[in-house]
Order: sequence, then C-alpha cells, then structure tokens
Amino acid sequence: MEEQVKQLMADILNVDQHSIDGSTSKDTTASWDSLSHINLMVAIEQEFQVSFDVSEIESMLSYSDIVETLERKLQV
Amino acid sequence: MTNNSNDLSAVRSNFASSLLAGDKFLAMQLGKKLLDEDPGMRLLTFISRQLEKAPRAELGLKPLKVALLSSFSIEFLRDSLAAYSFLSGIDLQLYVPGFAQFQQEIRNPASGLYTFSPDVVILAVEGSDWLPEIYQGFLEELTGGFDSALARFLDEFQSLVQTFRANCKATLLVNNFVPPVWNKLGILDCQSKTGQAQLVHGLNESLTGLCENNPGLFIADYAGLVNRHGALRWYDDRMNLYARAPIAADMLPWLSREYAKFFRALLGQAKKCLVLDLDNTLWGGVLGEDGLTGIQLGPVYPGNAYLAFQNAILDLHKRGILLGVASKNNPADVDELFAGHDKMLLKRKHFASMKVSWGPKSESLMQIAKELNIGLEHMVFVDDNPAECAEVSRRLPMVTVIALPRQPEKFVSEVLQDGLFDGLTYSSEDRRRGELYRQRDEAEALRSTSGSLEEFYENLKMEVTFAPLTKASLPRSAQLTQKTNQFNVTTLRYSEAELADRMRHPDWLLTSVSVLDRFGDNGIVGLSMARFQSDTLEIDTFLLSCRVIGRGVESAMLAYLCNQAIQRRARSLQGRIVPTQKNVPARDLFERHGFAKISETDGGTTLWALDLPAKMVAMPQWMKVRTDAEVVAER
Repeated sequence: MEEQVKQLMADILNVDQHSIDGSTSKDTTASWDSLSHINLMVAIEQEFQVSFDVSEIESMLSYSDIVETLERKLQV
Repeated sequence: MTNNSNDLSAVRSNFASSLLAGDKFLAMQLGKKLLDEDPGMRLLTFISRQLEKAPRAELGLKPLKVALLSSFSIEFLRDSLAAYSFLSGIDLQLYVPGFAQFQQEIRNPASGLYTFSPDVVILAVEGSDWLPEIYQGFLEELTGGFDSALARFLDEFQSLVQTFRANCKATLLVNNFVPPVWNKLGILDCQSKTGQAQLVHGLNESLTGLCENNPGLFIADYAGLVNRHGALRWYDDRMNLYARAPIAADMLPWLSREYAKFFRALLGQAKKCLVLDLDNTLWGGVLGEDGLTGIQLGPVYPGNAYLAFQNAILDLHKRGILLGVASKNNPADVDELFAGHDKMLLKRKHFASMKVSWGPKSESLMQIAKELNIGLEHMVFVDDNPAECAEVSRRLPMVTVIALPRQPEKFVSEVLQDGLFDGLTYSSEDRRRGELYRQRDEAEALRSTSGSLEEFYENLKMEVTFAPLTKASLPRSAQLTQKTNQFNVTTLRYSEAELADRMRHPDWLLTSVSVLDRFGDNGIVGLSMARFQSDTLEIDTFLLSCRVIGRGVESAMLAYLCNQAIQRRARSLQGRIVPTQKNVPARDLFERHGFAKISETDGGTTLWALDLPAKMVAMPQWMKVRTDAEVVAER
C-alpha cells in the first residue's frame, strides 16, 4: 500500500516517487497546494475505495499522516 | 500489484512514449484505453501532464481555446477536460478565472476572458447560485410569487449575453439548471405549477427559447446529464461545503465528455457514417450457423435487446447519419435475411453501402469510405469481436472503433454515450441525406449513359439559386463551413455567431447556393463569402458540398461573384487557395477559370486575381440561374 500511495502522490503532485518519505508534507512540498490537496484526497479515495470525512481531509497533511489514516480506514 | 494495474502501467508508458514520438492516433487510442479502464483523478492528472510535456504542435491536433466561467470551483475539471478533448484530437487551451467571477469577466471589456480570445466560453452556474429565491428562499417566495425573480433572472441573463456578444464572437455554451435534489414541499411539490421542480423546468424552457434569437448561444443539458447519473451520485455535498467543488470527482469525466460533444460539433468533427458488423451486433447468433430462424431477434431476451439497438441505429439514420455494413458472411445469406426476416427494423434501403465478404474489415471500410466519398476520420466502426476491432484500429487508426460489450442491453449506451454523431444543427439536408445519396447515385448513373459532359449537364436540368445569407440559412451555412473538406478553397471554419456578425457588415457579400435537379432538391450545397475592399472583391470562403462536385456549379458561383463585383464597380476578383490534404478538387478552381496567379507563400498558399470587367467568368449555359429576389417574386 505504501508504494501505491507514493506512486499516486508522485502523479498528482508531480514529484519523483523516490523522493517521497516520512518527511514529505504539505509544508515541505511546493506543488502540494490546497487545490492539489483536494485532488490528492479524491485520488486516494478512488484508488483505495474509501471515503474521508472533512476532518480527515484536513488532517492528512503529510505522507505519514496519509498512510496512517489509510491503514486505519482499511482495517475497519 | 494486480495483473490489471500491471497492464495499465504498461499502457501508461506506451501512451507517454507514443505522445513523445508524435504518433497522434496511437496516443489517442491508448489514452482511451486508459480512461475506459480507470477514469480516476490519478490517470486524468497523468494524461493531462503528459499532454503538457508533449510536442503538441507536431501532433496535428486541432487547437481550441476554451474559457470556463463558473459560480463554483471548476478548476477540478481542468485535467479531465484536457484529457477527454485529446481523445478527440483536440489540443485544449483553458482559461479559468477565479470562481464566482463570471459576471465581472463578461461585463468588463478589458477582462482576462476577452484578452484570452476564446473559441468557446462555457458558463457553468449552479441554479442555487444564480436563483437563490427558487432554490433556497422557496417557502418565503411562495406567497410573494416568483414572477419577479424569474423576470429579473431572464433580464440579467439576456443583458449578460448581449454584453458578451458585443465583446466576443466565441460560441457561448450555457449549462441549464438542475431541479433541487430535495424539494421543500416534498410530495406536494409536483401538485402545483409553482412547485420547485416545475419552476426550474420553466426556467430551462426559457433558456432554450433564447437560443433562437442568439446565434452562437447553445445550452448544455446539464439537468439531463445529472439526471442520467442521478443527483445523489452527481453531487458531493462534502466537497461543495468544504471546497466549493460541488461535483463528485467520479462525475467530472462525464461532464467533460458532455462538453467534448460540443467541441467536436463546433470543430466539424461530428462523425458522418456508422459501419456495423452483423452477427452478434444487429442480432444474436451467427447467421451462417444458426440460420434465418435460429438467430435471436424478437420480443424475447436477448432478441429484444438487439431490436432496441436496431431502433437506436434507425434513429441515427433519420438524423442523416449514413449507415454501412462490414460483415464476414455469405452474401446470399445476408440477402435472404434482409428479404425475409420480419423482425428486422433495419432494412436494406437504410444502408448506403453494404460490404459482405470474407476479406479484412479494414478493406471493407476503405471501400465504403471511397464509395460514399467520406473521410475515414468521419467513420465509426462497431463490432462485437475484439479481434476485428483490433484489426481495424491497427490498419485504420483514424477510424473510431467501438468494441461492443458482451451484453446486448449495453449496446445502445455504448454507441450513443459520447454523442459521436451529434451536431448543432439539424437541417432539412440532414433529414433527407439518405435520399440525397440515392439521388446522387441516380445522377452518377445518368453520367455514365450521357455522351458528352455537356450532354450530361443538360440532362441534369439544374436550377441554381443564389441567395443572400438569412437567419434561416445561417445554421446550414455554418455547418457547411465546418463540414466541407474537399471542394473548399480556404477551409476556414465559422460558427453561427461569426457568420451572424458578418451579416451585419454591408461590405461582406454572403451567398448561399441551392441546387435543384431532375432528381430532386439538393438544398443548400454551396457557400461563398467575399468582401469588398476598395475596388477589389476578395473571396474568403468558396465551398461546395461533395454531392454536387463536377457539375459546373462552381463556374456559376464565380460568374455570380463577377456580376456582383461589376455592379459595385470592383475592378478585380481575388481568391486564395490554401492547400490541405483533402481539398485537391478545389485547387485548380481559379486557374481553370482564367485567374492570374499573383503570389505564392512557402506554405503553398496561392493568391489569384481576375481583372474586371476585362475578364469575366461566363454563366454556364446548361443551368437555369435564379437569384433569391426572383424566387420571392414568384411566390
């Protein structure tokens, strides 16, 4: 799943997949603006067949946050 | 990773490399494959980004500048609109101002909208943003009446359209309004004419009514689109309230596909001919094995699904789409079926061309294209067999290929969903196209029995009518500029709005040409547009439908222009030939009528002139010529 998230982030945010790690966040990534954040959230929802609440959308602001939230969602 | 995603990632990289290699058709096919498989945000972003990187100028795409004006955040449509436009060979350039800026953009003559000089402007406004009285304040207004709210809206809308038109010649495409998802009066709503749903319905009717008096204004049936998919699936309330993005991400491709229908129609890319397979396409089973009585076609499933499909195809025929057959079968079996199966809705006479043989289907398609004088890029091929589809796609990549799904109940949606045949006009010529092609066949037969060419012309008993462009002939004239590829000296495409604009300028001479012959009325088949510039009459557009090429109508058109030029004391008639792949029949037009070549550019464009009145093109003796004034006088 982690690889899949990285690939997806690479596509949406237009960054190199291998540059994504635990330190990648909205604050440290120039192309991760509020518009691409929505696109990213939507793409994750489509790819993993999940649906996020607004509170989740607002909190998934880094690669680690995304993976953590997704793991929780997919377990339930 | 699943097998499927492995396949997709291979297609992804092939797509990217075909784009970079400049292989337009392959890239379009692979892009379609990707999006058919997964039209999600990730792939849309990927495709749109590849397009940005690609050498688009080398791909031979048709450029189109589109402005998206909206009351909500329509930014999110960008990638899917670019991707789906590309599948139609369109290089989309987008202008998207900040949301809720649509009024300012239209009303300010110096706005970014007008600087962008768009070809198409899409106005996507949700009803609740423009008419809060009906959507939010319904119960308050119920006692006060809605008339003033509706009148205010229509006034505002009309003035907006007028302001737009004064500043811009682009096509204006306006979404109509979706009824509220939940009516405030519940089941009572539909019991009254002032129910919410009825009010919105009336509003949409008024919008459609405005099109009549505003050339170049078209309505996108957004309400119909949302209805097809269901409002509860269409809207994402969460994203609407959080990011002013009301349309669910899964639905954005469908909105893009709807707009792409308009883009294709405006660019003259509407398909003209549908070529069908027979076995397991028009009926269930294999005729050669199951026999006339064994095939599935009738009131019981799956026969009724095939009947429904035939009925949809019959509708296309009535709209003027030419039908063809490319089937691997014994010709005798097929003849017997068309003669003897009482459930067939499609008859032999509905098909303009029928190729039944054991050869490759790509060959059959090429023969049909030649016979009907239609470009392969205007043809759609439909087959249930993936191998046949692949063969045609590979050998004729410009043909649009639809591989039918296994379930026949899905055929109708599959063929209709992208509106491949949709146009923005429905002329009497369209309605009668099948008949017109039969007339042409008869005329061809006459040509082969007539001795000399003059004799053939005499026998045709042609009557040519020249008439100034009118509001009534405007749609057909615009359609001709968009669709005519062969006998067309400059191949300039015009929208109705652009032609309407020219009609207001007295220095433009805009002439529609109708031809009547012994086989019937061909309707408007030619158009010339020329402009008086000091003592010269300059031809901008000169075109003839392929139905009447080779009958000397072009000579009559030039003779008419000469006469008009003389009447307004012009000393020269000038025209250009802009060579394209298709317009070979028009290239020697000026040369063979005695024009002198003035200049030639590197691109091959030539400029020609005829000195007046010293040299005039003579009106051909074999046709009766009428001007519109005479026609009116006779009535």
